[in-house]
Amino acid sequence: MDVFFDTFFNFQFMADHFQYVLDGFWLTIKLSLVGGICALIWGLILAVLRQLPGRALAPVRALVIGYIDVFRGIPLLLVILLLSSGLATMATQGAIPREIGIPEWFGESDPFWYGVMALTLTYGAYMAEVYRAGIEAVPQGQTEAARSLGMSHGQAMRFVIIPQAVRKVIPPLLNDYIALMKDTALVSVIGLVEAVQAGRDLYSEFYVPSGYTLGAIFFLIVTIPLARLVDWQIKKQHEKFQRGMP
Amino acid sequence: MSEESTLLEKEVARGETIMTVSSLKKSYGKLEVLRDIDLDIKKGEVICILGPSGSGKSTMLRCLNLLELPTGGTVTLKGETVFDGEKPKNLDELRRETGMVFQSFNLFPNMSAKQNVSIAQIRVRGRKKDEADKRSIEQLGKVGLDEKVDEYPDRLSGGQQQRVAIARALAMDPEIMLFDEVTSALDPELVKGVLDVMRELADSGMTMLCVTHEIGFAREVADRVIFMDGGYIVEQGPPDNVLGNPQEERTQQFLGLVLDH
Repeated sequence: MDVFFDTFFNFQFMADHFQYVLDGFWLTIKLSLVGGICALIWGLILAVLRQLPGRALAPVRALVIGYIDVFRGIPLLLVILLLSSGLATMATQGAIPREIGIPEWFGESDPFWYGVMALTLTYGAYMAEVYRAGIEAVPQGQTEAARSLGMSHGQAMRFVIIPQAVRKVIPPLLNDYIALMKDTALVSVIGLVEAVQAGRDLYSEFYVPSGYTLGAIFFLIVTIPLARLVDWQIKKQHEKFQRGMP
Repeated sequence: MSEESTLLEKEVARGETIMTVSSLKKSYGKLEVLRDIDLDIKKGEVICILGPSGSGKSTMLRCLNLLELPTGGTVTLKGETVFDGEKPKNLDELRRETGMVFQSFNLFPNMSAKQNVSIAQIRVRGRKKDEADKRSIEQLGKVGLDEKVDEYPDRLSGGQQQRVAIARALAMDPEIMLFDEVTSALDPELVKGVLDVMRELADSGMTMLCVTHEIGFAREVADRVIFMDGGYIVEQGPPDNVLGNPQEERTQQFLGLVLDH
């Protein structure tokens, strides 16, 4: 039993290296916030583009569907590797400006920004599907009422459909956000020392896995309240539904 | 812009034709819902459309503001073509000139009664928010909802919701109001309040097309009753004729079924 605790719950070790793992986790938080917000916005843009009406805009819809298929279909890890190596290569060969190919905006490192981009591209595709479900769950009568009042498709979407759709999909979006937050760990492969990489660094130096445990605890401190928030949102919607408002 | 103003500026005198429908057709694949509809609507006229379910009456109404695209025929509003047999023309203007009220109310659940009535005034008519809200409160007052302006739809009864929906359409100052079975989803005791509002509106000279099952309302308020079946207008005329002394067998059958219970 002592071995078990010394391995996984070596509190002395955790205390000694608390700051190092916390710094890593702080990066995790920043990455998930910036990447999450970008993915939420990008997903909404994709969903709206996918709903554009008319035969003339069919190519746009097809393009969006293709995009979503591609980015839902390849591993995030691969997207991270492709983006970082691809952009860096193009920048060094002068095909794109260095500030874009090797981004170091707002004092964050280039792996951080490659991570943001990859998370946005991949999770934007997931979230677009969530938004789409929300848009399709708004009754057709809402669009008809808006259009009968003379609103354009865009106005009906903006003022009537999207606000209702987003409210409906807050719980699944939060779920996706939790998943995104955990997937930030993948950005460690291109050298970002976030919470998981911090644990690896400690393990390779001291052969004590408790750094991982500390990282896990940090994750849980954020993800468990988020999970409760999802439950609460669902419950709130349920009550509304029972009052007769879908 | 020039095209936009033509319809809005045009004044049609009471009793003159405001909307014309010729050989209107609508089919969904092989299913023909409207076969050949001709209709001339005069300003200030109140038309009630009766018919068994599936007769095409709601579809016809929805073709008039092009919520459904007809598959053939033409629609003109104030002499301007709004549907030329293939595609809509002046669609935004048409929608601004026609108000529609639905069976299922379709209020925006994320907005208060007042916001429901104001939103299109602001976004479509281009009114200032204060001006629109003032108009909304006034319009909600006219349908007897002075005290409900800040309530959300889920706090209103079906009858109240439907009156908000009427106020919402009226606040746009439409030339024609389309009512699509607006009392069918209401509890019996709430029907009268909605019909009273419609009666008042008819008295004020609004051009109205009402798809309805309320024979009493049609008899009392309509200038003209249209009986539809199988995608055709079977019979039309003043309510005393169509309802009191129908000439067509199908009309007689339908009225027999509706009135004898």
